[in-house]
Formats: sequence, C-alpha cells, structure tokens
Amino acid sequence: MDMPTSGNIGQDRQDLADLSHRARLQFEVEQFLYAEAAILDERRYEDWLTLLTSDIHYWVPIRRTTTAREVADEFTRPGDMAFFDDNFDTLTTRVAKTIRGTPWAEDPPSRTRHFVTNVRITQVEGDEIDVALNFCLYRSRLNSEEDRWVGRREDRVRRTEDGLKLARRHVFLDQTVILSQNMSNIF
Amino acid sequence: MAKLITSDHWVDVRQGLVEREIFSDRAVYELELQKIFGRAWNFMCHESQITKPGDYFMNAIGEEQVIVVRGRDEAINVLLNSCPHRGNSVCRAEQGNTRSFFCSYHGWNFALDGRLIAVPGSDKYYGDQLDFDEWGLTRVPRVESYGGFVFACLDNDAPSLHDFLGWVGRLGIDQIAGKGEMVIVDGIQKNRIHCNWKLAVDNLFDWYHPKVSHQSAIQAGVLTEEALFPMDQMVLLGEYGHAIGGPGLSPARLAESEEKHRQLVAEGGTSRRHWRSNPASREALGSAGVRSRGHPNIFPNVWITQDGSQLCLRLPKGPVETEIWWFTLVEKSMTEDERRRVIQAATHFFGPAGLLEQDDGENWSHSTRGSIGRVARRKPLNYSMRSGLDEVTVGPDGQKSIETVVNEHAQLWTYRCWEEWMTAESWPDLIAHHSPEPTDAI
Repeated sequence: MDMPTSGNIGQDRQDLADLSHRARLQFEVEQFLYAEAAILDERRYEDWLTLLTSDIHYWVPIRRTTTAREVADEFTRPGDMAFFDDNFDTLTTRVAKTIRGTPWAEDPPSRTRHFVTNVRITQVEGDEIDVALNFCLYRSRLNSEEDRWVGRREDRVRRTEDGLKLARRHVFLDQTVILSQNMSNIF
Repeated sequence: MAKLITSDHWVDVRQGLVEREIFSDRAVYELELQKIFGRAWNFMCHESQITKPGDYFMNAIGEEQVIVVRGRDEAINVLLNSCPHRGNSVCRAEQGNTRSFFCSYHGWNFALDGRLIAVPGSDKYYGDQLDFDEWGLTRVPRVESYGGFVFACLDNDAPSLHDFLGWVGRLGIDQIAGKGEMVIVDGIQKNRIHCNWKLAVDNLFDWYHPKVSHQSAIQAGVLTEEALFPMDQMVLLGEYGHAIGGPGLSPARLAESEEKHRQLVAEGGTSRRHWRSNPASREALGSAGVRSRGHPNIFPNVWITQDGSQLCLRLPKGPVETEIWWFTLVEKSMTEDERRRVIQAATHFFGPAGLLEQDDGENWSHSTRGSIGRVARRKPLNYSMRSGLDEVTVGPDGQKSIETVVNEHAQLWTYRCWEEWMTAESWPDLIAHHSPEPTDAI
C-alpha cells in the first residue's frame, strides 16, 4: 500500500482521504466476514442464510496433485465435478437438513472454528466488493476426531439495502484427497 | 461367552452371521490383499479418462499403487508405480500426460509400456551389464475393458473379465454403459473414512438404513421417503460375489413405465430416463435386469449408482481405513443443461459433502471400531434379514432374481463369496469350488 510521503500538502490530504476510504472499506468487509464466521461457529445456520444474496454461487472445486508442468489443471473448472456447486436453494436445503430431524453427521454437533485471515480487497465494482482471503476451518468431533481444512477463498460481498451480503464464495482447498469422513460443514 | 459360529468359518450362511474380526484384524486384511485384490479384476478407470497416448491416471490394486496409461500404440498399460532400482515411485501426480516415467531418485527412465529406456551411467557405472529387459516397471499382466470400463488383474490364472463379471457384473456396468457412449466428468471426488472397506461395500445394498441414517435428508426434502425406502425389492446374485440389490419394478410397473416412455417419445420428449425401454436395451438387460433399479456391486469394491451416472470405488488403505473415490459419467450426447443437472445431483447426494453420504461415514467408522474390542468381537454381526424366507425366481432367459421386501441377501452373499475367495488356494480352486447362483429357497 502506498503511504502518503510527498511534501505536497494537498496531495497528502488526498492520499489520506484515499487511505481512510480504503481502511474503512477493509474494516467493514472484515467485520462482515468475522461476524459471518461467528454465526457459523455458533451454529446459527438459519441466520447465516440471511447473509446470502439469492443469486449466490457457493462452489468448492476438486483439487488434484499434478506435475508442475500441468499445474494449470490442478482445480476442476466451473461446470465440471466439484465437492460443492450450490445455489441459494441447495444451500437452504443443506441448512434444513442440518437443523431438522436427526442429522447424524451433526448430532452430536461438531465444534467448529472458522479463521479468516490475509483479507485483501481485490476489486470494487459498483456495489460489489471482491475479497481474496485465506481460511482455516477447524472441526472437533466427538472426543477424538479432528479435521482441518485450509485454503483460499474468493468471496464477493454485495452492498444491499439490508447491509452487506455474500454473493459468491469460491473455496480452493489445499487438500486433494479430503482427509475427513465428510464435509457436513459450511466453509 | 461361547462363539456363535462354532466352525472355523468367518461367515455362517445358515444363521446369517459374520465374525467381527474380519472388519479390523490385520492378518485378515493382509490375506485380503493377496487373495481378493491380488486375484480379482480391479476397476482402474473409464477409457474416456485416458484418450491420448501418454494420458495416465493413478489408481491402486489393494495397496499396490498402479499407473493406468495409454501407450504410444493406444493400448492401455497398467504399471506398478515402483522403480525396480530402489522402489521409489516414478509418478507422483494423480493424473496427467507424460512422455515417459522418470524416477526422481537416480533418473532411471521408463517408457509408457514400462520398458526401461535409460539409466544414467549404464555404461560407466554398470559397465553395460544391466539387463534393460529385466529391469522395467512391473506390468500388471491382465488389462481388459467392458463397456469402456478398464479393469486390471494381477493373476494370470484368472478367467477373462467377461467371465469374471458374469451376467450380474455385466448388468451392473450396463447400468451406466447401456445408456450409450459415456464420458467422464473431470474431477474424481476422493476422501478418507476410518472404516473397513467391506462395511462401506455392504452399505450399498442396505435399504434398511436410509429411513434412519438419512432421515434428516428426507425431512429436508432431498428425497422422498418412498425413494429412500422402497418396499418392492429385487436382488440379483452373481458368481464370485457380484450382486445387485435395491428397488425392482413388478412386470405391471414396468409396463406402466414403458407406456410413459412411449407417450414421452410421441410428444417429442427426451427418452434418456427410460433408456431401458428401447427394444435393444430390453433384450440386452434381460427379463430381470430390465426391472432392476438396485445398486450393483462389482466384487469386491465397485458400486454403481441407481441412475447409472456415478461409480464409487472403495479402496482399502489398511484394515480400518478406506478411501472413497467417486467417478461421474454423462452421456456424450447430452446437452449442456442435461449434463449440468447430472452434475448437480451428483454433488448434492453423494461424495463427502453429499446430503446422503455425509451421514454414513461415522456409522461405518464406529461399526469398524465396534469390531476391535475382544469382548465385542465374540458376538458376530447379524446379517439374517429375510434369510430362509424368500425364493429365487428363474426367468425365461435363465436370469435369477429374488423379489421381496427390504432384506440382507446381497450382503450375506457378498460375505459368503468373500470367504470362498479367502479360503481358495488359487483361481482354479475358486472356479471349482465357488457357490453357484442360488436357484431355490434362500
């Protein structure tokens, strides 16, 4: 990030205004993501749904170990197989499945901790803010089971009349073979 | 506590009992690697995954890591991924395209058919004494395809893939291959479950568990209770342990379904879902096959889904560890929209994030754990449901089926055949002494 260093006072003021604007946006987006993570960790899944736009795309492609030469083929592409390729309706079904009846995968409930870090705003266009970040999702289950998923996320946050909403979540995991018995969680 | 199974068997077919030790014992597992995976035809990949020379896909036969690779001559080779010099793997990627397999340890280089083609210092250090013909990658001796599905077998005495599969195994694969020219969708979902591989396999025949295990999915409207707990069940049992178990259509319901198909076609609609009604398919599937809507297992570890769009491989990774691999296939002629629907259903139901599958893993891992305790082990598991209560019907074309309600015939058959594989001395011994398909009361 360029720091205001010039001797020109007018320029410095402009730079400070830019910085202040960027810092405010960064703060706002980060607070949104942290609040969302807390909602998931608190298992408030129906509340989580209210943070999504109706056109959300929630996608977790499959990663493969490839040679360095073929590393461009590491992830499956949109439209091919994925672990998740969800829209608002299917996410709503996932939530319904988790809170109704006897969702054995989450009963007893898992204990999750969502960590969000290295948050970078990569593009702002109109009402939409694209965010790249690293995440770690830790899951403790029963008495001796631990899972952790680490990766990169490309989120799109949209400014709406009801505040910020999540319009896209693309999750790029670091594991190829998922070393967990399931993924009954939300990243 | 007295053992319920008194003979030196693991499986008591008459009582429907299976010893728990087979789900966690290291010695049993080692024997399986040799006598089951070392002898059976193992699923490798679909031909559409490796279309060009040099295309490869990594798989396993038991704990042998193998490379399935299309050669320069277009033939498919299956090679052990182990350099004969120090044993190092010569391929580290899961899939890709290559000109040769180069060992990262000392630089031995192997052609796509496994031949050793270059050794650094073969003149100066080995004095030109190294026999290149002798020191190639070990080739899996038998590689054959059925309907585009590639299988490999380590045992030279095994019957052909066609004969190994028999009509039940072939019918299982036809559930996918019979629909037309199929192609893989890029992306094999892979995940690990701390369970014995057989418990994952036996679950695919289990139409008893959905109502309980997957109740929350029913309540969330993922699938109807009728779809997950159909009362009309049909079981087909094949030689060497292949089986198909699950919903079956009565002749009346088949006629209904075919009538619907005729109407659809007359109205110009797509007939994909009713592909079995085409006269050629009907003939190929047979009198029972055309009515089966169950889950096939190609012994030992290949499950094919009901709608014939996915194949699930259960790879043993130790006595209490299994890797689950999901392959998804679509008809080559599908529109983008049709293809998308298949993929959405696939990600939604199965795989580690699938709304059905996510509830299964913990049951299997805890069943596996329940086979470890020495006291728990004294009580065998109960696979007796409908045992002794049903009849095998033989159709006009010789196809045999059991038409009944929810049952455990296919599971018990799988374990019965599994024990025959485990105790047979060799393929000739297994051919001579395996159980024929049941024909009367069962």
